[in-house]
Amino acid sequence: MAADSSRIAIPAFGTKGKLWLGLLAAIMVAGLAAWGYQLTTGLVATGMRNVFSWGLYIMMFVLFVGLSAGGLIISSAPKFFHSHRYEGFARLGVLVSLACITVAGLLILPDIGRPERLYQFFTSPDFRSPMVWDFGIVILYGVLNLWYLWLLTRRDLAARGSRLALGVADTDAGRERDRTLMFWTAALALPTAVALHSVTGWIFATQIGRGDWFSPLVAPVFIAKALVSGLGLLLVVSVLADRLTNYEVDREELTSLGKILGIFLALHVVYLLAAERLPHAWANHFEFWAITSSFLIGESVYFWLWTVVGGAVPLVMLMIPSLRKRVSVIFTASLLAVFGTMFEGIRLVFTGYEVANIALPPGISTGGEYAGITTDIWATAGAYTPTLVEVAVTLGIVAFGALIVTLGLKYVPIQRVERPESYATDGGRQERQ
Amino acid sequence: MTNYGLVIDQERCIGCQACAVSCKQENNVPMGQFWNRVLTEGGDKIDTPSGGYPEDGGSGSLDMEYQPTACQHCENAPCVKVCPVNATYTRDDGIVEIDYDKCIGCRYCMAACPYNARVFNWDEPEQMPEEGTGDVAARPQGVVEKCTFCSHRVDEGLDPACVVNCPADARIFGDLDDEGSTVSKYINEYETDQLLEDRGTDPKTHYISGEMSPGRPQTSDKMESELDDVSPWSDGAEDVPSDADGSDSGDSGGSHHSIESDADPHVPAVGSGGDD
Repeated sequence: MAADSSRIAIPAFGTKGKLWLGLLAAIMVAGLAAWGYQLTTGLVATGMRNVFSWGLYIMMFVLFVGLSAGGLIISSAPKFFHSHRYEGFARLGVLVSLACITVAGLLILPDIGRPERLYQFFTSPDFRSPMVWDFGIVILYGVLNLWYLWLLTRRDLAARGSRLALGVADTDAGRERDRTLMFWTAALALPTAVALHSVTGWIFATQIGRGDWFSPLVAPVFIAKALVSGLGLLLVVSVLADRLTNYEVDREELTSLGKILGIFLALHVVYLLAAERLPHAWANHFEFWAITSSFLIGESVYFWLWTVVGGAVPLVMLMIPSLRKRVSVIFTASLLAVFGTMFEGIRLVFTGYEVANIALPPGISTGGEYAGITTDIWATAGAYTPTLVEVAVTLGIVAFGALIVTLGLKYVPIQRVERPESYATDGGRQERQ
Repeated sequence: MTNYGLVIDQERCIGCQACAVSCKQENNVPMGQFWNRVLTEGGDKIDTPSGGYPEDGGSGSLDMEYQPTACQHCENAPCVKVCPVNATYTRDDGIVEIDYDKCIGCRYCMAACPYNARVFNWDEPEQMPEEGTGDVAARPQGVVEKCTFCSHRVDEGLDPACVVNCPADARIFGDLDDEGSTVSKYINEYETDQLLEDRGTDPKTHYISGEMSPGRPQTSDKMESELDDVSPWSDGAEDVPSDADGSDSGDSGGSHHSIESDADPHVPAVGSGGDD
């Protein structure tokens, strides 16, 4: 029988822990109430209208699909290459991925006008629809994350007698077999992750009717964005877990991953963005400086929030050797990268809707509340501001994701500990069934 | 095979909005929504021209045209391809239609449509009068709806409401696969465009601009193909078709005239025209 080689990050909830759970519960209740309200009044409770028909839910769906990448890739890529690098992040990473893909999937529910008909995805799917592809891949990815997290921890769960081991025993032979399974799971997880982000990108990239959406670069950009935001979130969560729980982050690995985040940022916000913008800027302008400024200067505040606050600033922070080893710098840069990526998704949706292809007066009927003869029901351009209801529903779902991570830290041995240490940390509690 | 299409002569269009209003009435379209819109190509507001008056040194460049816009019933319809649950589909006769019992309200089709032809019922649709208008059942909250080429009328052998009610004879409905139909003839004969042709959606709505066509005078609310095929017309017998369903929207007097199967569509309307 194997010695216990793991540690639980939150052995028991203290006062702060209980307050945190209470806060999450309150946000989730508020979100549920807001969703209930939206179900009775209809999507008129949102800021979306006919001209701008996708809003916060889809923007956040895009963000959270991207966020779900980091953990799974960081934990499965080394396994696939039989490396032990970033071992300390493996379990936490998959847990964060699982939480994020759950949030992403749930964010679709409130966006649906008639959620009670969602079974149609199974009874009457059209396999030409990128949304059907995405539906399939999100579910596959979620199941894969759940399986992988369990596979990574089941022997340790068994060692501590947790019922989550589901009857699996902790044996050396079993651990050996699991290592093979982990390799094959990693081999499956990597292409699945690539497919998830590409397919989500293709939801937009296949559309000829929405401005910049129709670009072959969207899928590669979604992968780059997933690498940036997913790794960023993993670093943020790991530093927070290190500070707030018994989880211990390996400083060397953290610094190394910070460097990798810098490389991802350079690939995404510098290279791919330049590759996307240059041909348009060149083709649309004549003078050298006109081409240059059209290339460099973005069109909206979302562009700047993404490229500068979420791109250039963290990139510089992670490039300067004297800074990039500090945990606080890595933490801040990662946080900014996640924050900036959020605005990339927001900007993408805006570029699709803010200009109508046929913008002649009176325009497009906006739908929604008809408030009498003086109300202008027409719009020639898209405008969107999320309502409080949308914000509350979104926060509620994000809080559910945070709850998944919190409970994971409580019930799943999230930290792998080198064997000699495990005796000291865990008192050798071992139960067999 | 039948493949229905629409020709709109922008040179004939007078911007009266009759098609937009009759569409709304016929299809029970909720308040705050339009399936069919007559847009103004010119100034910043509806019915305003661009340019200036030819007086006091003005440029004299006043210019205004109308752009009637509804679902284009594309051959390569992006809305049909994106619908995850097959709620939007192309009928065998080419009409792009929505199954309102299937639609989950994801609005991917609205993102896909380059023409903004689709509207979503953001709340419980409100009709005025409350019991609704026209011959189509109201759609529920939470589904997408749009122009159907009045498929409920087409199934009865009647032209779409917007076509029947165009006082300028600017709208012609018919079978694009039938070489002899007016729509086919006009597409061959006149300079026609499709909206946003560069997107490759291949709409079945074609716009005539440049040279004005003679239009197709609306002598009845029956479709052109019905006028050709239904024999009772020529011999002056009772003109109600055998399935006797034509009396709900029109009266029997509306089609008592002398159009023959080879009638030249250039001939102006005779006697009593279409009703509605």
